[in-house]
Amino acid sequence: MAKSMEQLMEVIDLIPDEPAKVSEFILPELMAIAVAHEVRNDDIVFAGTGLPMVGIMTANFTNAPKATLIYESGICDGKTMHVPMSVCDQRAANQSSTLGGLVDTFGYYLQQGFVSLGFLGGAAIDKYGGVNVTSIGDYYKPSHRFTGSGGNADIGTMAKRTAFIILQEKRRFLERNDYTTTPGWWCWDFKTKEWKPKKEVWKGTAFADCGPTAVVTNMGVYRFDKNGIIYLETHHPGITIEQVKDGCGFDLNVSMVKGETAHPTYRELFVLREFVDPELIFLPAKTEYPAAIQAIINKA
Amino acid sequence: MPRIRGKSKTAEILTLDQAVKKHMKNGMQIAFSGFTGFNRNPFAFSWEIVRQGFKDLHVIDRHGSCCTWLLNAVNAIKIYETDWMGWGEMAGKLDVNLSRNYQQGKMILEDYAHGAMAMRFLAGAIGAPFIPYSAPLGSDLYNPEYDALGKAGLRDGKKIPKKKFIQMEEPFWGDGDTVLLPAARPDLAIIHVAQAGDKGTCRWRGVGTIDKEISFACDRVVVIAEEVVPEAEMRKLPEANQIPYFTVDTIVECPWGAFPSSVPFYYDYDAPFMRLMDAASRNETDLKKWLDEWVFSPKNWEDFLVKLGAKKLLDLRADSVTGYSTRMMRGKKPAPRMKMALSVARSGY
Repeated sequence: MAKSMEQLMEVIDLIPDEPAKVSEFILPELMAIAVAHEVRNDDIVFAGTGLPMVGIMTANFTNAPKATLIYESGICDGKTMHVPMSVCDQRAANQSSTLGGLVDTFGYYLQQGFVSLGFLGGAAIDKYGGVNVTSIGDYYKPSHRFTGSGGNADIGTMAKRTAFIILQEKRRFLERNDYTTTPGWWCWDFKTKEWKPKKEVWKGTAFADCGPTAVVTNMGVYRFDKNGIIYLETHHPGITIEQVKDGCGFDLNVSMVKGETAHPTYRELFVLREFVDPELIFLPAKTEYPAAIQAIINKA
Repeated sequence: MPRIRGKSKTAEILTLDQAVKKHMKNGMQIAFSGFTGFNRNPFAFSWEIVRQGFKDLHVIDRHGSCCTWLLNAVNAIKIYETDWMGWGEMAGKLDVNLSRNYQQGKMILEDYAHGAMAMRFLAGAIGAPFIPYSAPLGSDLYNPEYDALGKAGLRDGKKIPKKKFIQMEEPFWGDGDTVLLPAARPDLAIIHVAQAGDKGTCRWRGVGTIDKEISFACDRVVVIAEEVVPEAEMRKLPEANQIPYFTVDTIVECPWGAFPSSVPFYYDYDAPFMRLMDAASRNETDLKKWLDEWVFSPKNWEDFLVKLGAKKLLDLRADSVTGYSTRMMRGKKPAPRMKMALSVARSGY
């Protein structure tokens, strides 16, 4: 018979918090949990739809239960029971501290400097962490037109730290974007028509030191050096450093690689599968647990 | 500039088709309530706009929705000033109709960002001509060369502001550069609410997005309500109301009028229906079939709901505690029964 959520809740602490083997999890699970690891318990997180939302919900259920989740439609600190499909989903508003609107989230929270972590997607990224979610090719006659900024440009420049989650391909990891929706650590100064460090363009504003700090892709996890240039920190299990370099449109710095991205633990996988996305909205299918873990769950 | 009215408006109660006929004109500027395709989209109104055949619309909004998806399906939007041109998030991110119309040069897109559009409506709402905002310096959104309305020669300073933005040095505190954004001042706001008093006072539950700001920024306001109740009922808990009656021109009672988006505590969004809309838009024959079946064939909105069927409406009906439905199949498995968020159960608030 199917277990109730209360029964499942009771076995969480019995499930070992030890890394699972490669065959025991799938890539979306690895990515969602890598996202979760970026969240600290004292963060105020502003996240976009999709994998960022799944990742921060996972963080909220594991390593960062007290992190405050802000969603742009006006939700402040929702205590979500069922995974939302949109940032305005009533599921995300469950038990929130206050509910308002976009002026609250972008004005009172973000521009006022409360948001410590932004979590966003992107269609393409440059080596300085500048993100394009608008168009490829000529702006007025694009070969591909995407949705455009949404909250990306605001959140990605005004949150203290921002993490991006991006599908990595050579044509999406670029020396320079065709269109910069969300500027990274280097960007155009349109007044002087020069490409400059963000710190200079934003000099005097409160946000000169805010910007991208991590990128999670299907191949690895990236950080930025003191010059604001991206480097590979870890590569995902089963992906070689050569493959990561091949998936980059510029000469990627791999001199600071620490090794493989941490495997998700059995406990993290249990929480993600049973509590974050049991409806299989984001995850493509239910992955089986190894026998020893299943035995613990069966005892619930 | 602020519109000096001299007296309070008196809201009239009309039917959906009367309200569309009375307020819509070809080429006018409109703004819809809600959030993306998921929350309080006045879809029935948009549906009736398409049935009555209005064209060349200028939509000013902070993102696409089921409403803009439908207008783009019949190429009724000529100018689209917004910041997110998708509509269905996890159930259909890109608006394929919009993409097709834009690639064929049938419409103008003007890009902003979410916070920027919220601030433009806030400026419009409080009667300010513009508002400074930390809109991202160095973003191509504020690249002087990327001003689609300017390039098209449409910035007349009447209904379309003379400039897309102005970047300037912050003059009071020495806070570096800031961006001035022009107020949004559309002709017509179409706001879907849960309840409207018969005098026009409005209430919703769940997120507010920028619906209060839109209601004040626009010349005229049409409210589509799940239920119209005696005004006295709205006065029992006035702090729960968001829109005062004197901004409202017309009230339309239209149950399920935000389908396939949600009205928190009334009904949930219909993700499978949105996925079908997305699939239909990928092919012009399928799209025509979808429009014939769902827009042009039903005799009226009630007939549309009858076509959806009782089973669908039952599945979508929100429960009174959470405000959403756990009977809807959103993914591949049913929703589990939950009493409390895991984070609260284990760590409190």
